[in-house]
Amino acid sequence: MKSSLTFHKVIVGLLVIYLLIPLVGTFLFSIAGKWDHTILPESYTMDWYIELFQDERFYDAFRRTLFLIVMSVGLSVVIMLPTIFIITVYFSKWEGLLQAAAMLPYGIPPIVGAVGLIKVYSDGPIQIAGTPWILIGAYFITILPFMYQGIRSSLRTINAVQLVDAAELLGATKFQSFRTVVFPNIISGILVSTLLSVALLFSEFAFANLLVGGRFETIQIYLADKLNSSGHLTSAIVITYYSMILLLTGIVLKLTFRNEKNPVVSNKKRILSFFKKQHCNKNTAIEGEK
Amino acid sequence: MNYVTIDQVTKGYENQVVLNDISLTLKKGEFATLLGQSGCGKSTLLRSIAGLEGVDVGRILIDGKDITNLSPRQREVGMVFQSYALFPNMSVFDNIAYGLKMKKVKNIKSKVKNMIDMVDLIGKEESYPHQLSGGQQQRVALARALVMEPKVLLLDEPLSALDAKIRKSLQKELKRIQKELDITTIFVTHDQEEAMTMSDRIFVMNKGKVVQSGSPSEIYTSPVNTFVAKFIGNYNVCNMEVFHKLVRSTELKGNEVAIRPEVLQLVSAGEDSLDLQENWGIKGVIKDVSMTGNVLRYEVETDESAFLVDYLHHRGEMFEQGARVHILVPKKECIIL
Repeated sequence: MKSSLTFHKVIVGLLVIYLLIPLVGTFLFSIAGKWDHTILPESYTMDWYIELFQDERFYDAFRRTLFLIVMSVGLSVVIMLPTIFIITVYFSKWEGLLQAAAMLPYGIPPIVGAVGLIKVYSDGPIQIAGTPWILIGAYFITILPFMYQGIRSSLRTINAVQLVDAAELLGATKFQSFRTVVFPNIISGILVSTLLSVALLFSEFAFANLLVGGRFETIQIYLADKLNSSGHLTSAIVITYYSMILLLTGIVLKLTFRNEKNPVVSNKKRILSFFKKQHCNKNTAIEGEK
Repeated sequence: MNYVTIDQVTKGYENQVVLNDISLTLKKGEFATLLGQSGCGKSTLLRSIAGLEGVDVGRILIDGKDITNLSPRQREVGMVFQSYALFPNMSVFDNIAYGLKMKKVKNIKSKVKNMIDMVDLIGKEESYPHQLSGGQQQRVALARALVMEPKVLLLDEPLSALDAKIRKSLQKELKRIQKELDITTIFVTHDQEEAMTMSDRIFVMNKGKVVQSGSPSEIYTSPVNTFVAKFIGNYNVCNMEVFHKLVRSTELKGNEVAIRPEVLQLVSAGEDSLDLQENWGIKGVIKDVSMTGNVLRYEVETDESAFLVDYLHHRGEMFEQGARVHILVPKKECIIL
């Protein structure tokens, strides 16, 4: 019993180390001065951060990325939430169709998607190729699976159909029953989907590069550009925007759960699992970028 | 005066008929039960009355008003679901007050207080659904429906998710509250015992039709067909030709004969003093004995078919497995189907 517990602890420990090493490495590199033939850096400096924070391009890129994310995630919530709710509760026979549509983005590699999008939107009635708007559209599609799965499973968990039945029998209109009964119970699910999408879009490079490239420099394009000049600086960028995501996530979570008198256990679990996923995202991102 | 009228209601999905020309009426204050196996259409009928499902043909009237095409919120019916369907984000008080708030009623507080008192949940006002037991949750659901003073209360298998003991006590309480408020109630269940204990009237349903309606004792003592006989009381149903052979008499006419297991008597094969004036005798062997606490159930094999015989469990009076016996069948207890 005791030895097996130790064994579990060792496994968990190794996993944590495995996940943290790239992050810690990146962080050390971002504050390292000379670091050639020693295990830890020989000297430390904040120069890279100073250089970064004095660069107007960094702030612009950050703002652009935030703009894209807020627009596409916002649009996604505004459109997908009512859609999924209405289909699940009132038109369940079309659920399969919606599910298939929501899963499509998984099947299309960004390069293929980007080439197609450029072709379609370079002429014809909607000429938005090369503008941020096409990127917002592409991002909307990219995060569709996350939004769909998150919202739908929240609706399932609370048995939304029956709650709506009950509310309507008690005299609520369809909209009232959504607002007072369904929405408060799936808010945490929506939040998790949203945060996951934000984290995903922060590290999105392929679409941004192919669709708009230097014309609308996002944080990832800025990062790719700096990759050629200094590894230290790119590490500083990565650490900075991770910290930003973490801060953002923390604030949103805190705001949402502060007023919640009734934090259901499953919410906590979902958020824990979200953090795990985000962690994986980060690490793959680091490895990909270095 | 009929308070609830279901008039020739028919409903189907694609190529399957779920409700087949159902007509029934209820009086005010009546406790009616829709009884049947799963898939017989009883829940669909209840949901149609609630307005959660539409009907293809037919009319539904409550208190003289045709509600067939009204939305659920306009129908003035209350419903309790099997899985409670409480609002997880609201406390007990808010759950019960929900409907009143939607209707913008005055004196919400005192009405909710009264209801909490009635369903015996004092002290739980601020609890959330997940902090309550199944029985308590169902009381909240009941209070939430009743506080709206609905014209008809619909109960969709409200007790079947609860364990036996709590179910029994909630049955009694439900009945008490129903009588106290004199509220017309339609109860759906697949449990014939529950239907018997609670109802003023039972509608036995099978394959989308009401096959028999009547008081619990009418349904139990005079089933109209084999389905009701088997479903409601474990009747021994025997083909008439077989029965003629067994009792060596062709006195009874008809297709089948149904006999309740508790009216049959067993006598040891050696005994001569059989009363064959009032009874028929059938020779048999005890094949199996099972006990459900207060009742002993014998399965007796005869030349042609097996019979179930129920006895109250008295100490020391028991036939062994393999014993040769006579089954005494009281002539007046034979129901011809």
